[in-house]
Amino acid sequence: MSETTERKRSEVADVDRSLYDFVMSEEGYERYADGLTPDIVRAISEKKDEPAWMLEMRLKALDVFHEMRMADNWGPDTSGLDMDHISTYVSPKTKQARDWDDVPEDIKTTFERLGIPEAERESLAGVGAQYDSEIVYHNMREEVAEQGVIYTTIEDALHDPQWEPVVHQYFGKLIPMRDHKFAALHYAVWSGGSFVYVPEGVTLSYPLQSYFRLNASGAGQFEHTLIIVEPGADLHFIEGCSAPKYYEANLHAGAVELYVKDHARLRYSTIENWSKNMYNLNTKRATVGADSRMEWVSGSFGSHVSYLYPTTILQGARSTCEFTGITFAGATQDLDTGCKVILNGADTTASVDTKSISKDGGVNTFRSSVVIGAKAERARATVSCSSLMLDDISRSDTIPAMDVRCGSASVGHEATIGRISDDTILYLMSRGCSEAEARTMVVNGFANPVSKELPLEYAVISRRRRFRTSTCRPRRPGTTCASTRFPSRSRRPSPKARSSRACRASSTRSRPASAPKPPHGSWPRRVTPATSRSRPA
Amino acid sequence: MASSGDSRYLEVKAGVKREEPIVVDIDASAGEAKDTGVLVREGAEATVVVAVHGAGAEDTTSASLVRIIAERGAKVSLVEIVAAGSDARHLEGVGIDAAENAVVECRQYALGGAKVAVGFATNLAGTSARLNLDMRYLVDEGATLDVNHVCRQRGRVTRSQITTSGILKEHAKKTMRETIDLIHGAKGAVGNEIETVLIAGDHVVNKTLPVILCDEDDVQGNHGASIGSVSPEQLAYLADRGISGEEATALFARAIFDDAVIHAPEASSRAAALSRAEEFLGAEMARDVAEGLGLTESEESAR
Repeated sequence: MSETTERKRSEVADVDRSLYDFVMSEEGYERYADGLTPDIVRAISEKKDEPAWMLEMRLKALDVFHEMRMADNWGPDTSGLDMDHISTYVSPKTKQARDWDDVPEDIKTTFERLGIPEAERESLAGVGAQYDSEIVYHNMREEVAEQGVIYTTIEDALHDPQWEPVVHQYFGKLIPMRDHKFAALHYAVWSGGSFVYVPEGVTLSYPLQSYFRLNASGAGQFEHTLIIVEPGADLHFIEGCSAPKYYEANLHAGAVELYVKDHARLRYSTIENWSKNMYNLNTKRATVGADSRMEWVSGSFGSHVSYLYPTTILQGARSTCEFTGITFAGATQDLDTGCKVILNGADTTASVDTKSISKDGGVNTFRSSVVIGAKAERARATVSCSSLMLDDISRSDTIPAMDVRCGSASVGHEATIGRISDDTILYLMSRGCSEAEARTMVVNGFANPVSKELPLEYAVISRRRRFRTSTCRPRRPGTTCASTRFPSRSRRPSPKARSSRACRASSTRSRPASAPKPPHGSWPRRVTPATSRSRPA
Repeated sequence: MASSGDSRYLEVKAGVKREEPIVVDIDASAGEAKDTGVLVREGAEATVVVAVHGAGAEDTTSASLVRIIAERGAKVSLVEIVAAGSDARHLEGVGIDAAENAVVECRQYALGGAKVAVGFATNLAGTSARLNLDMRYLVDEGATLDVNHVCRQRGRVTRSQITTSGILKEHAKKTMRETIDLIHGAKGAVGNEIETVLIAGDHVVNKTLPVILCDEDDVQGNHGASIGSVSPEQLAYLADRGISGEEATALFARAIFDDAVIHAPEASSRAAALSRAEEFLGAEMARDVAEGLGLTESEESAR
């Protein structure tokens, strides 16, 4: 074959969006006017009956938002985002429930379709569900609460005399409002999110999960997540998000502040599957104490534009950060993702491992920053990023920056971009695989080291995410690509099978065979009485 | 600073193999600036040398701009030795356009200067055009080096290999931007970047930004970087053999000077490297470098 001859390509099936693209009526919802004014900010604050310092912070943030400019020449184009046509607060007419039966039918149906109640039954220590601007459901297992773990909304914490000072101490300190323009926006109009406090020495056997659903069109979601993991504690927190697709811009500008104290561990997993009209301008940051560990697992599959760079500050000696991420950019998507690690403590270590796949004109940009401070003696960092291009109309860039200011530190970095090698396909075919099977294996093999870290067992949203490939000839003008999908081992069950499974799950509370074994041999009870937890089949 | 009198244009005719190098000699201590254009016609071969020298200068700024067009099948060898004095500033710029099957071999040595900026942009426009860029640098105490390597691969089956390595002494500052731009249509192109940095002192600032831009699927882009100091295990190994940490660092530095002198194709560039070696390593070791490479007395005296 000539070196310049065009070769076959792999076709990877796009994300099956039927799971997320359903819209519930907004009738009866409280929706504030589009745009950003002090009156809107005051109205949000008044509705939440906040302390004076929070209103003051909001108004100051609004000024900062108007004052700051968008960074020039940075990242994907956000000119399609017009804040004058974004409603910053949309709320369903319901109060926060502790039982799914108390959640309005349309909202409950939404979360059931997304598999949240099922995941809660099977594998979670607690669940928070946010619908548009407000949390509509929050619950936690009883024995977790008995250990002193607090899992609630920021709003509720602000109304609790015990926790209001704690929120005041930590809220907005790790991500200052001047961090960037959308951080300021967030602090002006934030609503919903989670407050998690894990007391010293407490280990949660199961994760906590917050799920964010933005149903309203032309609206923004600005939840704030504040997690404090005290010394010696251990938490796994899962965050999921999705929205139906509209033909006008939606905005997500949340903030996540994570405080991991000495000898503690926090694993923060995210599966982001926003619709392709979403501008996902989220900010996440963690500070880590001595001998502690911060683990990020990030799956970015949705949104039209993403700016997402979770930041870890390894402040304490011997602290560790591990970032594992996978990004999939399809048609109309421009995803600028990556991470930042700042190593300040001595003997700190950081490991970054990311994969990205681009297809159908999707644009992936991997952007990382490793900064080793002057006092980070013997700090070590490794960065690895691999990108797979599946057609010649897509794009993939890697921009990893390393800033080393300590003589005894060391950094290793490797990056690769390319397509599936013909040699690899030939090798697999010589072992009896068909070409399609070979390409499927390669794509799955490419993604699996990272995707296996995603919390697949907890949410339907990610179970539906699998890479399927087929092959087709390069497209020529006037022809169509007759792509044939080849089922992989992880083929999605048919609707009938899913329905059957859902019935089983809702008709019995026994532990499914695939679920992890609970501690002490039995399923713990929850805060909500079991008698009020009947669910429709 | 530069005037029209400092500019020159040279052409190597088609099929001609020019034996005599085209030399751009810059006296940094005099603040010289030169602008050179070289057109290497189809199938021709040429060597271009940029030699920046001049110890002992204070607060001077020198500059060199070299533009090279390599036509189809041309072969260009470019050697740049920037060995300005410890207090001098130098701006180095290179632009190369390579047509089909053209081959560009480039060796860059940033050996001295208080502040040195090196810009290097290549356009691999033709099918199977190639770039091999090797850079060695030595950033002395308190000095600053800013490097920007850009390789745009437009042609099919183009190849680029960018390898950089160097040493940062105490309080040194270095910024290295390396960009491989695999432009749409460059099917079969391969671009590789490798950087190795030895940090030999405290209070350094090392910034590395290796970028791969990929707008084509049938390509390969790879980057690897390793940044660190001599490990305690390596130091212990060397100590067992009677070599201290300082001596080990001096050996690494000497290796860079050896490499520069070996690849310097003519007298002025060799003299620039040896002169800087003497300033950095001391007269005895510089003489050892020259003798080890079998340089004649006349060449040494020319220095």
